[in-house]
Amino acid sequence: MPEFKTDDHKIKRKVIACATVIEEMIPFLPEDVPYEVLDFGLHMNPSELKSLLQNKIDRASEEADVLLLGYGLCSMAVIGLKASTATLVIPRTDDCIAIFLGSSQEYKKQAQKEPGTYYLTKGWIEVGDTPFEEHKRLIERYGKEQAEYVTKMVLKNYKRLAFINTGDYELERYQDYSKRLAREFDLYYEEIEGNPNLVKKMINGPWDEEFVVLLPGQTLTYQAFVNSSPEAS
Amino acid sequence: MSQKLIDAIIEMREEDALKITQELLDGGADPMDVLEACRQAMDIIGKRFQTGESFIPELIMAGEMMTAITDILKPHMTEDAEEKKLGKVVIGTVQGDIHDIAKNIVAFMLDLSGFEVTDLGVDVPPAKFVEAAKESGAKIVGLSGFLTLAFEPMKDTVAALQAAGLDDVRVMIGGGQVNEQIREYTGADAYGDDAMEAVAIAQQWAKE
Repeated sequence: MPEFKTDDHKIKRKVIACATVIEEMIPFLPEDVPYEVLDFGLHMNPSELKSLLQNKIDRASEEADVLLLGYGLCSMAVIGLKASTATLVIPRTDDCIAIFLGSSQEYKKQAQKEPGTYYLTKGWIEVGDTPFEEHKRLIERYGKEQAEYVTKMVLKNYKRLAFINTGDYELERYQDYSKRLAREFDLYYEEIEGNPNLVKKMINGPWDEEFVVLLPGQTLTYQAFVNSSPEAS
Repeated sequence: MSQKLIDAIIEMREEDALKITQELLDGGADPMDVLEACRQAMDIIGKRFQTGESFIPELIMAGEMMTAITDILKPHMTEDAEEKKLGKVVIGTVQGDIHDIAKNIVAFMLDLSGFEVTDLGVDVPPAKFVEAAKESGAKIVGLSGFLTLAFEPMKDTVAALQAAGLDDVRVMIGGGQVNEQIREYTGADAYGDDAMEAVAIAQQWAKE
């Protein structure tokens, strides 16, 4: 584990984060830590996300020593990333759901409890990237009957709709939206408390086994991502 | 004529596709040739999905059309064609994952290509794959997973098959972002990017 002390002011940090994750980070972000935000919709296109991230990393490396990536594995989008002069710190999680829930462990617990869970957060609701919004688009494109068949197939094995409450002044609106969708698509509704621990730890350290710490010049491999004692290529 | 069928399928015109299928049969076409046209259409749809020209809804609709077309074809297939089985395959979505749209297409295409497929469904624990492989005597196991959360259970399943002494069973994996790194991590024998590759791998293994 490399020795970094985030209270050491000589270490310059910079955040590069997804639009949904940055919202959870901002409340804990010190003023002197700049951040850049990438479009949420990129999660549907991992190869595009990868090249955009690499691009941001290359440029940010010139101004910071440590780049904090507000991403998880995100459909393998982070695999292959490399910073030639900066250190990369990435939460060791499959995706942002674990970041919202506060740990990879909590995510796995939830996934075990009900593998057929569709998670919603305020970010996801705001961007409209849910099968429910997709359903509306399908009706326009293929008509009601086909749309219903397709959505039924997409959601066939989903049983639970879980709204992750990360605290927000418009909370009630998101809760109502989630509950309405659960009813409409025959899922049972549950609210799960969000937890900012992982976000706080990403910003302030310590970057322990819950994070992938990639030293300058190393390229991130899947093996290193899942293995807490990384051996990078 | 079969080009018309391919066009109807890839353009998601289900009614036309079914009508053309019926016309082909009425005109004395070999059901196996019609199936071949379906296979070609699915290949095109699979490729379009990979390049981002088609999306999940198209895959689902194509799957629905395939099922409807084979329902029409089945009464016309000779027993001979039905029995031309290349080998047995056990397939399923691994534990912790419930996505099965692509897995169903793979199972369907394997079936079309002459394999006897046991589909275990979704969220399948390693022990169930072991049990099914033992019972059926299948020498090919297909593990599917859409989420990156599925990679660990894939690894566990490969290990469970080995631990059960099923050394002659070969495992292929696919779905989501599965690639060579994941194949290596899970210990699987091969991975495929789409249903056609899964069929090609299974065909290759069946020959060996």
